[in-house]
Amino acid sequence: MKKFVSLIATALIAVGLPLAAQAQENPKTIRIAFSSAGVGGKPAAASGLLATAHQRGILEKEFAKDGIKVEWTFFVGAGPATNEALALKKIDFATQGDLPLVVARANGLRTRILLTDSRFSRNYVVVPTASTIQTLEDLRGKKITVQKGTAGQLTLNRLLTQVGLKESDLKVIDMISDSQKAALSTGDVDAAIQSSTDLVVRGLVRRIYKIEDPKLQAPSQVWVAEEFEAKYPHIVQRFVTALLRESVWAVDEKNRDELFRLWSKTGNPYSDYKEDFKGWALRDRLNPLIDEYYTSSLNKSIAEVKQFRFVRRDVTADGWIEPKYQQAALKELKLEGFWDEFDADGKRKKPAGK
Amino acid sequence: MASLKDKLPAIDPRGFVLPLLLIVVWQAVTSSGWVDTRIIMPPSAVLSAGWKWLNSGLALESIGASLFRDASGFVLGAAAGITIGLLFGTSKLANNVFGPTFHTLKHISIFAWIPLLSAFFGRDDLAKIVFIAFATLYPVALATIEGVRSIAKSQYEVADVYGFTPRQALFRLILPAASPQIITGLHLGLIFAWLATMGAEFLLASTGEGLGMTVIRGRAAFRVDLIIFGMLIIGAFGMLLNELATRAESRLLHWRGHAR
Amino acid sequence: MSTIQSLDKPLVIEPLASLLPRISIPSLGNLPARFGRIGLGIIFPLLLLYLWQIATERVWLPPQLLPEPAFVWETLVDMVSSGELAGHLAVSLQRVLWSVLIGGSIGLAIGFAMGLSKTAKAYLYPSFSLFSQFPVIAWSPLMIIFFGIDEALKISTITVAVIVPFAVATYKGIENVPVKLREVGQIYQFSFAQTLWRIALPAALPAILGGVRQGAMQAWLALVFVELLASSEGLGYLLVYARNLMQLDVVMVCMATIGLVGLIFDFALGFIERHFSRWAPKGR
Repeated sequence: MKKFVSLIATALIAVGLPLAAQAQENPKTIRIAFSSAGVGGKPAAASGLLATAHQRGILEKEFAKDGIKVEWTFFVGAGPATNEALALKKIDFATQGDLPLVVARANGLRTRILLTDSRFSRNYVVVPTASTIQTLEDLRGKKITVQKGTAGQLTLNRLLTQVGLKESDLKVIDMISDSQKAALSTGDVDAAIQSSTDLVVRGLVRRIYKIEDPKLQAPSQVWVAEEFEAKYPHIVQRFVTALLRESVWAVDEKNRDELFRLWSKTGNPYSDYKEDFKGWALRDRLNPLIDEYYTSSLNKSIAEVKQFRFVRRDVTADGWIEPKYQQAALKELKLEGFWDEFDADGKRKKPAGK
Repeated sequence: MASLKDKLPAIDPRGFVLPLLLIVVWQAVTSSGWVDTRIIMPPSAVLSAGWKWLNSGLALESIGASLFRDASGFVLGAAAGITIGLLFGTSKLANNVFGPTFHTLKHISIFAWIPLLSAFFGRDDLAKIVFIAFATLYPVALATIEGVRSIAKSQYEVADVYGFTPRQALFRLILPAASPQIITGLHLGLIFAWLATMGAEFLLASTGEGLGMTVIRGRAAFRVDLIIFGMLIIGAFGMLLNELATRAESRLLHWRGHAR
Repeated sequence: MSTIQSLDKPLVIEPLASLLPRISIPSLGNLPARFGRIGLGIIFPLLLLYLWQIATERVWLPPQLLPEPAFVWETLVDMVSSGELAGHLAVSLQRVLWSVLIGGSIGLAIGFAMGLSKTAKAYLYPSFSLFSQFPVIAWSPLMIIFFGIDEALKISTITVAVIVPFAVATYKGIENVPVKLREVGQIYQFSFAQTLWRIALPAALPAILGGVRQGAMQAWLALVFVELLASSEGLGYLLVYARNLMQLDVVMVCMATIGLVGLIFDFALGFIERHFSRWAPKGR
């Protein structure tokens, strides 16, 4: 009997110890957030590496073997909603645009930037077709809609500065992206910043300005909550490595159609993505590197966020970016030199097409 | 005993004139093409869109989700409201210490709490339910305070004579005596909870379903038919809740009348 | 009578009366007790303030959720002295004023019609009671379709919110005009205008003023909602702006302003209401 008990005990210890050790090291779930949602709040995202990984279930596959669940959240409230969730410690990883990112840091939310999710996106200032607005200068006194607190608001401010205007010279109305389209098509607003093509195709809006200058828009990034990183650095490493491995598939031009088809699960038409990426190599748009372009863009955003008085506290980029995971992953996957680096002006540093 | 006739007011056909007129005008202007039918949809289009939606399964999910939020928020808010009301009503000290703050905060329009609530609770169901509870709390608490205060001194004296423990006093005297006002407060709370449910779904945009969300998305997708139908459903549920509350109220008060 | 009662019973409004504060007019005799009470009432807010201070000093809550009191105060001073707050407040107040004027007139007209004419009541009442049960905010998406998102949207939504309390209060006020007074009118063979001006209006005035107060409170509630929904100026706009940029200090300043205005509305209109109710002919 005694022997039997000790046998059971030994067995329990044998089974239990590794389990206990694992439980100590691994989180039960990894909570990932997108600062966006599909049309009508569909739980889907597009246009970036993380969105592709979500659609293809890459991270689930990576972590399934350890019984770690991957939870995805899609915020209709965009970047500001992501910040609220981060403050409540409800998310571990997220993608975000530059304004909410800097606002979070100014308010003491601690994150570490791991990689770029997408860059060089194309946007347009659009106006209802019948509008008399022809140039950015014409926007003075007009109603324009952006989702407040998102990267779009910062882009708008940069645009306005170019032509000597301020946000207060216009009527800026907060709307989520679905509502923006509705308001444009009914003429409730005079302008918006949009990348989507469907309203253009339907003849409801006209593009008056193309936002393509890499200095007018910042890349979006993937970050991890500092607390999570401190606790589970190995999970962060696996997360980054899995994402970069996936990126090789995503930037393969063979998969271009497939990629856009996956993204159109957001409810936005396939043609939106086709048009948006026209003339671009996937490899450049979905470039995960933390290069000179990224760091200088981030520093520029920080300065502008302060300049436009979106935050009143000071923000420093010191210790914010954590490139070590990316570097390790590139090395492990033998992808060093796979992506080109870009300089502060968004120009390619080395000749293309090696 | 009130006669049946008193309970069921005779239906005056003149009351139908206005709604019918509205529907006739609505149908007439849309079918004659005087107005942009993209903006003013004919009633038939609204009905058919509504029918499709009802059959899609999405309707049940939306209604269910909204009612769930409504009920959870209401129950939480009502419980908190009655507790606060009893506390303020029975304890002078509590009333003097907390009352002024409570009565001042009441002047902040409930929707103004939404940004703060979303900072603390996010924008999902939790935040919505907290907001609904908050909207329910005030009318219930205020009515309860009023109910408890309206209890005559002599009734307390009777309780004293019988040597009621505080617990007995609460369940045998205070709650029954204050119940008319509390029930009225609950009724009002129910109306506010429904209002708040819609407000929360409009203003705390998130993924997921709900009646308010359906309507607001209908707007984004420019589905005027869905918006109108959604509004009708929201109104119908509001009325249904009100009607149920009215019946429950009169039944409870009736029962109370007998019990006395 | 009970038929009318059951018809009258319901609306959102009657119970709303219980939402409004009972402002007790303290007797001047027991001043010390009064001050004692005020003192007690101040303890709790002070305690809250102290807790708030401690909580921010020890960072019980992250600063993005709970900015320190001094910072909020600084923001308040900043926003007041720069005129920013006053500008947005003025926009919001203007919207409320217009809506109360428009909605009030419509509400008064409906209330008088239903109160004075049995025929009008038979036509209007069922539709009106149906209308009054729709939550105002449920109307807003439709309003956006019709009116766009500009001033028209705000004014129309708030107006709808104002009509019901005005109409109900007026109607009830006239319903409750003492029979004796009506008889007097009949004896003197008053014309309709005279009945309205000399009997119905003065007798129903306290009730109507009660409706004004409720209407103003409803307007304030609807204003915040509709400004949160879509606006480029006003207190609700400021709330959205600050929320999206995580400036909870600004959010708190806005909330305080909204509360203060609500308080002033309530007290001022409550004062007028009491003042006039002393005048009203008694004799019920």
